[in-house]
Amino acid sequence: MSKFSHIYIEEGATAYPVTQHVLSRFPRSIRVAIRHYKDVFNRPHQNFRRQKASPKLILAVKQEPFLYPGPEVCEDFGHPNFYYTSPVLNCIYDCDYCYLQGLYPSANIVIFVNIEDFFKAVDRKLESGPLYLCPSYDTDLLALEGIVPYASRWIEFAATRQDLVIELRTKSANYSAIAHLKPAEQVILAWSLSPGEVARRYERLAPPLKTRLTAIKAALQDGWQVRLCFEPLLKVYSWQHVYNEFLDEVFSILPAEKIFDANIGVFRMSKEHFKRISRMRNDTDVFAFPMVCCEGEVVTYEDEKELRDFFYQGLKRYLPEGKIYG
Amino acid sequence: MIYVVTALPYEASPIIKKYGLKRDEACRHFPLYRADNMVLIVSGVGKLASAMATAYLLAQNMKHEEAKEEESLAVINIGVCGAVDQRYPIGTSVLIYKVIDHETGKQYFPDILIQHPFEEGSVETCNQVVRREDVLSSRVELQANLVDMEASGFFQAASRFLAPHQIYIVKVVGDHLDVVDFNGQRVTQCITGALEAMDELLKQVQKVCRVESDVLTPDERLQLGQVKQSLRLTVTQSHQLMDMARRYKLRTGRSLPDLSEFARTEVKVKAEGRKALEKIRRLLLYE
Repeated sequence: MSKFSHIYIEEGATAYPVTQHVLSRFPRSIRVAIRHYKDVFNRPHQNFRRQKASPKLILAVKQEPFLYPGPEVCEDFGHPNFYYTSPVLNCIYDCDYCYLQGLYPSANIVIFVNIEDFFKAVDRKLESGPLYLCPSYDTDLLALEGIVPYASRWIEFAATRQDLVIELRTKSANYSAIAHLKPAEQVILAWSLSPGEVARRYERLAPPLKTRLTAIKAALQDGWQVRLCFEPLLKVYSWQHVYNEFLDEVFSILPAEKIFDANIGVFRMSKEHFKRISRMRNDTDVFAFPMVCCEGEVVTYEDEKELRDFFYQGLKRYLPEGKIYG
Repeated sequence: MIYVVTALPYEASPIIKKYGLKRDEACRHFPLYRADNMVLIVSGVGKLASAMATAYLLAQNMKHEEAKEEESLAVINIGVCGAVDQRYPIGTSVLIYKVIDHETGKQYFPDILIQHPFEEGSVETCNQVVRREDVLSSRVELQANLVDMEASGFFQAASRFLAPHQIYIVKVVGDHLDVVDFNGQRVTQCITGALEAMDELLKQVQKVCRVESDVLTPDERLQLGQVKQSLRLTVTQSHQLMDMARRYKLRTGRSLPDLSEFARTEVKVKAEGRKALEKIRRLLLYE
């Protein structure tokens, strides 16, 4: 069945312009009125894998809180006031290692249509000082730009706020959707990259490495600040060779001197998410390697350090240490 | 296995005929009919009756542990309903995406993840028969276009056992809330008219509701069971063993190594079992 064959619309969400915009994109979808998005999103016993094959859209109004402190497992890039926000829940891609499959009970995509309320919450927070905010952690806003133009809305908003820095994390190659906007120094476009083979095996529906690199190159040429996110680094057969080749490929296309910064993160996940996801995934080897539970109840490879150090040394060939985080 | 719940024998009879179901005389509580891939129960009228029959059907018959790999598992409520709106002609079959319980106001949502030949709509389940004049005079205020007496009870019971994509409700418009004399034959006709589309639905349901197969083969599970027994593993240790075995197969893509040595080991004290399990761990996680 096609994607978004059904759109569930919260009673209170109907009048919002974003709702009307999304509905206009899917004139043939069946519209189902609901009282609260959790009546659909939080139903018991939903099958995440089955729903991924035919995800639905849920349009809802977000209530407080709008901003959450940045999680420990995520890099803060030296910003003391690190927060994230989720104007959309879930992603159109289907990566084997994705933590969202253990975070939410449903694979359906929730779009919170009251984007102005998110902006107001950011303004309130800015009153107490500079803010580093990530609005594309629990989704991929750029990939969804054709459905709901939130990547551009966030860029336009951030461009007018001096003390705000936002990171838009993505795997999308949909740069053309925001190419008309003026690059803003408050905005970092952060592309997650994996070796071609890893992307093919574990990042279903996401664009191939080459396409992502082409999009990044265009963004760099236009003057955007681009962050490269090398995470999660995964253990694959002959990983030393795979990751060396990968770095060579990345920097044969991208001009290293134009990269704003980069971060490295070996595959890791909270213990609870790991347990939940590994139980439902018997179609991937991502969760099958020997793991350890480290401080903070985070699960990662037993030899995580070896993988990380190896990649760090490789990346240092292209970027100065000061630009490498993680 | 497809489980079917109907309220009336008139609704059940065309399904029994089409799928060659046979009465299960051993069931004394409800009329129950079986074939190899289908079990049908006749619940009686009303949401409570439907909930009881659905719970009985699934609790008595559905055994997850014994479900054969690649077998499908779903439950379908099929029956006639009334339509408020004349735009639904008599005989229209509708796959339900929203159930509203008229008395409690609660709403329930099956997951529709398949292509199917039906129209889609919502149904409101009421305790009493709703008549056209009740709606026109606003004595009864309805939110849905279709009205029945079972769907909310059926869904609530079914969702205790199955995921929302395994629960289907097909309602066939039998009247426009204007029935004076109940006519069983007309009900049977309505259901008969929906059976071809129902057949198409079942094909799709079977694909999407397949029981996920275990990476371990039945032989491997048997051997691991023997290992658990001979090493006198605790429940937690047993889970660890199964988890390690599955991870081994996913990681290596190979069959499990020979563990018969451990299946033959008779441990006397638990410490010996722990030691043996550690040996297995090294074998399965680091090979």
